[in-house]
Amino acid sequence: MNAGVTIWRCANCHAALFPEPLLCPHCHGAAFESDRVHEAVVEEVSVIRHMIGQDNWQPRRIANVRTIGGTLMTVGLRDESGPGSTIELSEEGTAPFGRAKR
Amino acid sequence: MIPENKQGVDARHEAGHDGREVGNRMFNNAAIIGVGQSAYTRRPEPGQTALHFMRDAVVAALKDANLNADAIDGMAVASFSLAPDAAVDLAWKLGLSLRWLAQDTNGGSSGMTMLGNALRTVEIGTADAVLILGGDATGLAGYAKVAANYNTATQKHLSPLGHGGPNGVYALVASRQIKKYGLEKSDYGHIAIAQREWAAKNPNAVYRTPLTMDEYLAAPLVADPLSRYDCVPVVAGAQAIVVARPDRAPKGRPSVRVRAHRGSYNSDNQLGDGLQTGISTFAKDLWREAGVRPDDIDVASIYDDYPTMVLAQANDLGLISGNDLARFCRVTIGEQRFPVNTWGGMLSAGQPGGHAGGLNGISEAVLQLQHRAGERQVKNARLAVATGYGMTMYRYGGTAAAAILERAE
Repeated sequence: MNAGVTIWRCANCHAALFPEPLLCPHCHGAAFESDRVHEAVVEEVSVIRHMIGQDNWQPRRIANVRTIGGTLMTVGLRDESGPGSTIELSEEGTAPFGRAKR
Repeated sequence: MIPENKQGVDARHEAGHDGREVGNRMFNNAAIIGVGQSAYTRRPEPGQTALHFMRDAVVAALKDANLNADAIDGMAVASFSLAPDAAVDLAWKLGLSLRWLAQDTNGGSSGMTMLGNALRTVEIGTADAVLILGGDATGLAGYAKVAANYNTATQKHLSPLGHGGPNGVYALVASRQIKKYGLEKSDYGHIAIAQREWAAKNPNAVYRTPLTMDEYLAAPLVADPLSRYDCVPVVAGAQAIVVARPDRAPKGRPSVRVRAHRGSYNSDNQLGDGLQTGISTFAKDLWREAGVRPDDIDVASIYDDYPTMVLAQANDLGLISGNDLARFCRVTIGEQRFPVNTWGGMLSAGQPGGHAGGLNGISEAVLQLQHRAGERQVKNARLAVATGYGMTMYRYGGTAAAAILERAE
């Protein structure tokens, strides 16, 4: 697991984007620099209690979060953080996760 | 038909933004002349594939349109279950030799998108009679695979979270909607209950037993705040529609014309909150081009994978007075003042993939306008609105389309 989550910054207008785009939706610039974001605020949470096609599913928590720079992403929550909480972001492969900021 | 709603766009005397004369039909030489559906079932028989359901829907639609298969010279199809085949392979298996062929990948808006493309094709004479087809029989495990692999964003950034497929995505959208509009859980219940009442009058619906508010509220949570009756049930089945010149309609039966049709694809780059769909980008044009207003509509088919999205689309269309979603649920739907999803919607009739589910809403609008909806017939229905919404790209759906349909005497 890596600290922070990779986002992409438009080299032209500096918009912070996730997932990775081909052209910037704001200025249609084609060049991006990768960056990492480390914190976000939880906006909404859901507990996934049932997964289609799986019998032995253990509930998991997911959340919509907004990074300090305003990027919106969906993360897996590792704890009981709720709306309004600030969380630390991390990455497993290409998947973003978060837990309460220590 | 929506007595409390006077906020809609007054379309009758405005000029179209593109200079087109408004108030006339968008399609004068193309109409819907037949609809057909296969059986819908939660559990298909062994060996029964999506192709079998699609065949049954085609046979039913051709019979309904009083056409032989040789008369079909165009086809549009959408399905999660065709691969490795493509549309032309299906044409081969159906024995159809065509002048126009399209395969659509816009999920819940595929039905409406294909309808628009078929109408344009017949209108300009590229084809004379187009078959529109959707169907799936993925089963639950197959659907789980589809939902985990909708697109690369889902594969890379959502599925590894155990996000629960669209249920998880729309659970988060529903939380935003509840917060923004001051909704209560029971508000979604009014939609599920009303549609189940309609489904009781539809022999093709999979779930027809009446649903009470107590049962709705006691149902197990699937993805908070969504519970069982908020989530569309996956079924196997197929749906077909025939579009042709209006004079091809079976004698003694009115065809159904489309006064206006619009679509929107990736309207906001997933930068919004998902509570406004792409319909919000074209609703004014749609009504203006149709030359009617929301309160002229007699019956509505609103794509209903979740009650949340019924409300979002209805609001975008201007069917909800003052953006008061709670009142719409409690009064307009709860007190049966306006007929929405009179076939039971996918929430009760079942969703054989979003493609066929969207087509079923259009088919129901056709049956209502032709006064062939049996026990669920809305008296003197002359105008309908139908929508499609789909493609859960990352935080919500990215495609939407809608049409205003009318009974043509």
